[in-house]
Amino acid sequence: MKVQVANLSKAYKFFWALKDINLELRGGECVALLGPNGAGKTTLLRLLSALTRPTRGAIEIDGAALTRPGRLRPAIGYLSPGEHLYEGLTARENLRLFLSLYSVKKEEEEMTAALEQVGLSRWADNFVSSLSAGMKSRLLLAKWTLVGSRLLLLDEPYGALDGSGVDLLDGYVASLCRQGGIVVIATHHIPRALNLCTRAIILHQGKLIFDEPRQDPWEHFHRAMGEFLPRGERWSS
Amino acid sequence: MELVRQTVRLLWKDLLLEVRRRESLVSMFFFGAVVLFLFHFAFEMPRERTAEMAPGLLWLAFVFTGTLGLGQLFQAERENRCLEALLLSPVDRGALYLAKVLFNFLLMILVELVVFPLFGVLFNLDFWNLLPSLFLVAILGTIGFCVLGTLFSAMTLRARARELLLPLILFPLMIPVILATIRGMEIVLRTGAFEEALPWLRLLIGFDVIFLTAGFLIFEWVIES
Repeated sequence: MKVQVANLSKAYKFFWALKDINLELRGGECVALLGPNGAGKTTLLRLLSALTRPTRGAIEIDGAALTRPGRLRPAIGYLSPGEHLYEGLTARENLRLFLSLYSVKKEEEEMTAALEQVGLSRWADNFVSSLSAGMKSRLLLAKWTLVGSRLLLLDEPYGALDGSGVDLLDGYVASLCRQGGIVVIATHHIPRALNLCTRAIILHQGKLIFDEPRQDPWEHFHRAMGEFLPRGERWSS
Repeated sequence: MELVRQTVRLLWKDLLLEVRRRESLVSMFFFGAVVLFLFHFAFEMPRERTAEMAPGLLWLAFVFTGTLGLGQLFQAERENRCLEALLLSPVDRGALYLAKVLFNFLLMILVELVVFPLFGVLFNLDFWNLLPSLFLVAILGTIGFCVLGTLFSAMTLRARARELLLPLILFPLMIPVILATIRGMEIVLRTGAFEEALPWLRLLIGFDVIFLTAGFLIFEWVIES
């Protein structure tokens, strides 16, 4: 799998959220997308997921333009905690609905197994409205596990997850990358993301200011990221 | 075949949510009944003017009630950004449109099944033997209302004052449907002959087919832009 981003820009009225981003993501890469609030991380993820259209530039996935993403859609997963689930449906009904829309045929047992894997088997028939934020994140993880998208975009995935939830997510991300998929994680949990990721990208005011594969030691990253860390805090590998 | 399967799946989801929440249907029933009671107190309908006045009043009630339903049509998709979840999926955008049209149509038909007899009772009308013919005209009008209403409901989905905007842009475009339905029902009531109303019904069928096709074709652009 290969994602090619060329001169990508996005403006919201007169505000440029992203400007002239050029990237190439290759199969097996796990990318940490970092930067301060308002840097354009979520905008980039939304553009990569085809939820938003670019003002300028283009995205190609395996050589196919994302302007008419019809056949590419099953390949793109977007996990945004607490969102994208119908509150009035149960956990199982949500899974059943979305799998059906992705034309993914799974037996009830497979759905039960996926729910069990994310620790939700007891809540499978509970309404999503009664689930906590962390449980909703786990349910979304079960959804993307079953759909099996090859490009997984994670927007602040760690916020509501407890320890075992984080382990589950990291485990899935690592296995997807091992199988040749691409994962992009937009997060402020820098040490956690860097433990997992093979490459880091830093955005600042809509511009790409840092893009390097993981190294040890990683002085460039320290210098680039340093100014965005809380006072007195320093990331260490 | 895939389109039908996806449409049925999405319609089932909407029906399930409505059965559990009962938000749209209950408010539409209540609103329809309230409007009829208001008409009942506001207008006195002499027997000789029944055919002239009844269809207009009845359709005003349906249009107001239907607009209330249209305002709620994408409520489930607005919560938790579920519309994004649907747009992320490879589901045919036409299936999204058809499912919403069918859901809206079913709600309105259920309301009409109650409002029609209630109207007859409140205004002491003797139109019971004409009820099937009247209902057939109303069904065609309801389809027209739903195909156009669903499209504009989706168009105003991200607008700030959508409750205000929706009727403002919808009602002028609904004039052919409202006019043809009212005229069709008036002729049925006046003459008792369904055949007499056929020219208006043809207009309604034409409107329904044109806007259903147009809505199906442009819904992808409407919902994704």
